[in-house]
Amino acid sequence: MTEKATHPSWITSFLAIVRYELLWNIRKKKLYGVVAIAFALATLELFLRVILSNVANQPLSADPNFAINTGTGIGSLGFFLFALVTVMNSISGEFESGTIVPLLTKPVSRTTVFLGKMFAAFVTLLGAFTVLLVYLALGGSAIYGPQNNLHLLPIVLLGSIVSTFVWITIILAVGALSKSSMVAALVGIGLWLGLIIVGQIFAIFSGQAWVLTYLPGTGASGYAKGIDSSTLPINMSIPTGLQVLTGTDSIGTNLVTCILHPSAEVEFYKIEFKLENHGTRYTFLYSETLSFIIARAVVTTAVYILVFSFIAWYALKRAQVAE
Amino acid sequence: MTLAIETVNLTKRYGRLTAVDRLDLNVSANTIHGFLGPNGAGKTTTIKVLVGLLKPDDGVARIFGQEVSGDNPDVRFRIGYMPELPKFPKHLKGWELLDIYGQMYGLSKQQRIDQLPKLLELVGLKGREKDQIGKYSKGMQQRLGIAQALLNEPELVILDEPSLGLDPVGMVEVRELIKGIAKEGTTVFLSSHLLFEVQQVCSHVTIINKGVALVSDTIENVEHKIRGPTTLQIEVTNLTKILVENLKKLSFVTDVKAEGNKLNIMLETRDDVRSQVSETITNSGGTILSMNLVGQSLEDVFVQLVGKAEEKEGGKNHD
Repeated sequence: MTEKATHPSWITSFLAIVRYELLWNIRKKKLYGVVAIAFALATLELFLRVILSNVANQPLSADPNFAINTGTGIGSLGFFLFALVTVMNSISGEFESGTIVPLLTKPVSRTTVFLGKMFAAFVTLLGAFTVLLVYLALGGSAIYGPQNNLHLLPIVLLGSIVSTFVWITIILAVGALSKSSMVAALVGIGLWLGLIIVGQIFAIFSGQAWVLTYLPGTGASGYAKGIDSSTLPINMSIPTGLQVLTGTDSIGTNLVTCILHPSAEVEFYKIEFKLENHGTRYTFLYSETLSFIIARAVVTTAVYILVFSFIAWYALKRAQVAE
Repeated sequence: MTLAIETVNLTKRYGRLTAVDRLDLNVSANTIHGFLGPNGAGKTTTIKVLVGLLKPDDGVARIFGQEVSGDNPDVRFRIGYMPELPKFPKHLKGWELLDIYGQMYGLSKQQRIDQLPKLLELVGLKGREKDQIGKYSKGMQQRLGIAQALLNEPELVILDEPSLGLDPVGMVEVRELIKGIAKEGTTVFLSSHLLFEVQQVCSHVTIINKGVALVSDTIENVEHKIRGPTTLQIEVTNLTKILVENLKKLSFVTDVKAEGNKLNIMLETRDDVRSQVSETITNSGGTILSMNLVGQSLEDVFVQLVGKAEEKEGGKNHD
């Protein structure tokens, strides 16, 4: 060997970590599994109506909103699963396998290692979601004719990544603290289930749905007045209008809705089940503009990402490698 | 004299257990320094403090005068480190791993393209660089560990049990490799439980037990300082009581034991007294068939030192 190494610049070290992490991410079987499921569901969505129209022997009607409607439908479970498989062992797995030892003894600061891993997660999600959305756009155009609002797909993409990053930082933080991928996964799943299922049920029945707005996940559920739900993502229209979710998982969907309906106002109701007449009563609670809901969700998301990133970074920075 | 490694009062505890206890260690630059001790002596803990994986509870550790506590990439840039039984990401190929680590050390793409094949050849992994590390044997991972420790031509190479998992041929190759590295002016700090390895490769040695350095010096000095009685083993004919008595009369002989036609003569000198012994035997009517001088090896010194330390510890506990 003849030439000596020169002290690496920060960007060189950072890119080396990104490459190290990306090569890991793209070889994770779990990630391929989730991508395969996402593609299977997208394919099903693409061809279901084709199959049904053939079975019913009726012509397939054009749907210019197919791509944007389906693209915004990745949803909370999708974001969570992508986050889980991308980073559940990103830090903790290095400790478990012992690969952290050669990694942390290289002339790269732990902060750079952390930032590199975060950026690699971003690139991985960017790649997976982009391919998925392009597939939907091309498939939708081929099957359902020219598509409307395709220019909004980058916003869907950005919103999806930002939403996923809340879960990414939570799982990373738990993994970095526990140094266990199993704990990171279990805590993540528990939190997601708790917030999405238990939280929703509690919030609906207690009438305190606003609490969910400030928690990671789908948030509280309201209805945008005067918007025909058939033209936009989620087709649940009780009592009237498009259902809007206020949480960190709904940024992309809400942004698209807001761009298409800038003055949209969302009403929130308390649901009461009447056992005596087997009916459901909706009691109006309050209303908010969609733009305010988005702004609040963005701030909430940013706070979560920053706080959990800090926890994960600090845990890695302070970690001692005894084993 | 430049110190490559210096620890002052270095202490590291795991709960109630003191793994490293006020360790003062000086490793001069351009030497091959062995770090010997039984399992659990505190060797790996000391090394982990030196490379920044552990923070000391007390004392300081310096590499070429720079303190190592905290996250200090500048210090790590000067070190090549091979952990004990190194673990690398199984999904990466050998080449990819070295290429990425090379990038972390600031090697340009061209430098990596030039240097990696040489390094792979040096450690005997040429032809296997495109295989995933998950398919490597323990010995191959060990070789990869050595390769990655030499990537940046470091000023100091720290090797934690480099022969572990290697076959006998591999062990010999590693020893030659270490000698080769040192010839180019690199300081090598080598932790090993293989005493003969340290004896064959190192110029200096520190023996550690229960976190305490028992002795630290050149190999020769350590052997010299603690050398016990040397023994002459002689096979003779006509072994008589008079012959034994005559041998006992020699000033440098402390004891003579006879068994069959074999003599074990304990000497209290390190001078070569074989001719005087030979003359005494011949004059006493004996004929020498064979003569071996049995000295104390580093292994004996090691066992003796560790034994003494444990006796002392036992005595303390008893008191």
